[in-house]
Amino acid sequence: MVKAIVMTNYIKYTPEVARDWKSVNSAVRGDDYKHCARRIEDASTSSQLISKLWIVEEVSKLKLDATRVALLAGWYANFIVPLLIDELQTKMIYNFEIDEDVKQLSYKFNKRYKDDKTYKCEIVDVMTAPVWKKMKKHETGFDLVINTACEHMFPMYKFRELNRGFLDNPLYVLQSTDDSSFDDHINCVSSPDELAEQANLVDVLYSGTKVLDNGMNRFMVIGK
Amino acid sequence: MTNTILCVKWGDKYDHTYVEKLKEQCEQNCSVPFNFYCLTDNPTKPYDIQLPTTWDAYYHADRDFFWAYRKYYVFGLGNNNFLPEIEGEQFLLLDLDVRIHQDLKYFFELPMDKPWIVRGWWNNLDTVKQNFAKHKSTPLNSSVIRWNRNQLKDVFDNINRNAEVIFFTYPSADNYFNHHWYNIWDEDASFFQGFPQGDIYSWYKGNVYPDDMEKHKLRENMKICLYNNSGYGEGDSDDKLHKIYA
Repeated sequence: MVKAIVMTNYIKYTPEVARDWKSVNSAVRGDDYKHCARRIEDASTSSQLISKLWIVEEVSKLKLDATRVALLAGWYANFIVPLLIDELQTKMIYNFEIDEDVKQLSYKFNKRYKDDKTYKCEIVDVMTAPVWKKMKKHETGFDLVINTACEHMFPMYKFRELNRGFLDNPLYVLQSTDDSSFDDHINCVSSPDELAEQANLVDVLYSGTKVLDNGMNRFMVIGK
Repeated sequence: MTNTILCVKWGDKYDHTYVEKLKEQCEQNCSVPFNFYCLTDNPTKPYDIQLPTTWDAYYHADRDFFWAYRKYYVFGLGNNNFLPEIEGEQFLLLDLDVRIHQDLKYFFELPMDKPWIVRGWWNNLDTVKQNFAKHKSTPLNSSVIRWNRNQLKDVFDNINRNAEVIFFTYPSADNYFNHHWYNIWDEDASFFQGFPQGDIYSWYKGNVYPDDMEKHKLRENMKICLYNNSGYGEGDSDDKLHKIYA
C-alpha cells in the first residue's frame, strides 16, 4: 500500500473530541480529580502538541506502518491518540502507565476510542515488568513503540531486554531532552545520538532536534 | 514464635550510642521476650551482624538520592540461608531515630495477613497522588516495618532482580515501595498495610492530616514517634536530627 505523506500542524477538534475533553474538565473540577488540574494543564501545552505533531510528521515521511502502537508512559495521551488515529490510521493503541489517575483521565480524554476498543491503558512499570504479560497473546505485536518521556525513566535498552521476542520487532520512536532543571528528569541526554545509544538502536531511520516554544531542546530518534 | 527487633547502622551519621539507646528503649518498652540485632558495617558488639555490601555496586552517589538501601537486606531473612545468624520468626525493624512511647508487644501481636509499614497519615492524599509519577510525596515511611520470616521475600527478590533500574530511578526506598508494593488508590489491594492511625506519628510533620498536624509535639499516648525527616523533594533534609536522647 502506498502511504501519503501527512504534513499536519493541528489536531482535529471534532464534536466527539469536544465531548470527551469537556468530561475531563468536569472531572478535575470535582473532588476526585481536582489534584490533577495542574498536570492536565501541563499535558495540554503547545510544546506538548508540537512534540506529538513532530512524531506524526516524521513517521509519515518515512512511510512507516503505525497500525498497532504502544505508548510507554503515554500520560493522558490526549494529543497522541487522536493524532495517530486521524493522521496515521492507527487501529490499536496500548498506553502503559504507572499512575492510576492518569489511566482514568486518559480514558476520559479518549472515551470514544476506549469504547470502540481502539485505545487501552494498562498499569505497569515498563522498566521492571514486561508489557506483553499485560496483553492477550494475539495482541502482543506492535509496529511502533513510542516513548516521549525517556528523560523520566531508565535507559530504553532495559525495556527492549524485558520484552525481547514478544513485540514483533517494532520500530522505536523516542523523545528526550537535555533539560535537567526538573527533579523528575532523571535521565537527560545530551543529543539524539545518546538517546539512540541508550536504546541500543542499530538502524536509525531518523534523528533530529527541535527547540520547543518553551525553550526546551527536544530530541527524537526513530529506529530499531 | 520468637520475636526479633532489628536496626541497621552504617557510616558515621550515627555513632554506636544510638544503637545502645535504641536497645535500652526496647528493653524498657517491650513486655515480651525478643532478640536484638544491629546490622552494621562496623561490628563491635555481641548483637552486631556484618552488613552485606552486594547492593553498593548499584548506588549512584552522584545522584544526590537519599537511599537508605542498606536497611532492606533484612527483607531477605530466610532466603537461601541469608544472614543465618539472625534468629526469629517475627521481625520488627526500627530506625535509630525513633522514640518508643508504648509497649512494643503490640507490634508482635498484630494480625500478619500482610506485612506492616508506616503509612504517614500526616500526608495530604491529594499531594501524594499528584506527585506519584514524580517520585515525590510518598505516603510510606520505612522507619518501622513489621513482618514475619519470608513475608518480604518477594520484595527482596524484586530489588535484587531490578537493582540497576530501582537504584537509578527512585530517590528513596519509600518511593520504590509506594510504586511497587502499595496502592494509594486502593489500600486493600496493597502488598503492605499501613499501621493504623494512632500508632505512629512524625515529630517533624505531625500526626493526621489535616486535623492533628502540630509539629514538634510529643504524643505519648501513641506508640512510636519518628524523627526521620528525609522526604525527598519536600525541601527538607534530616541533617539537623532532633536530639532525641538529650
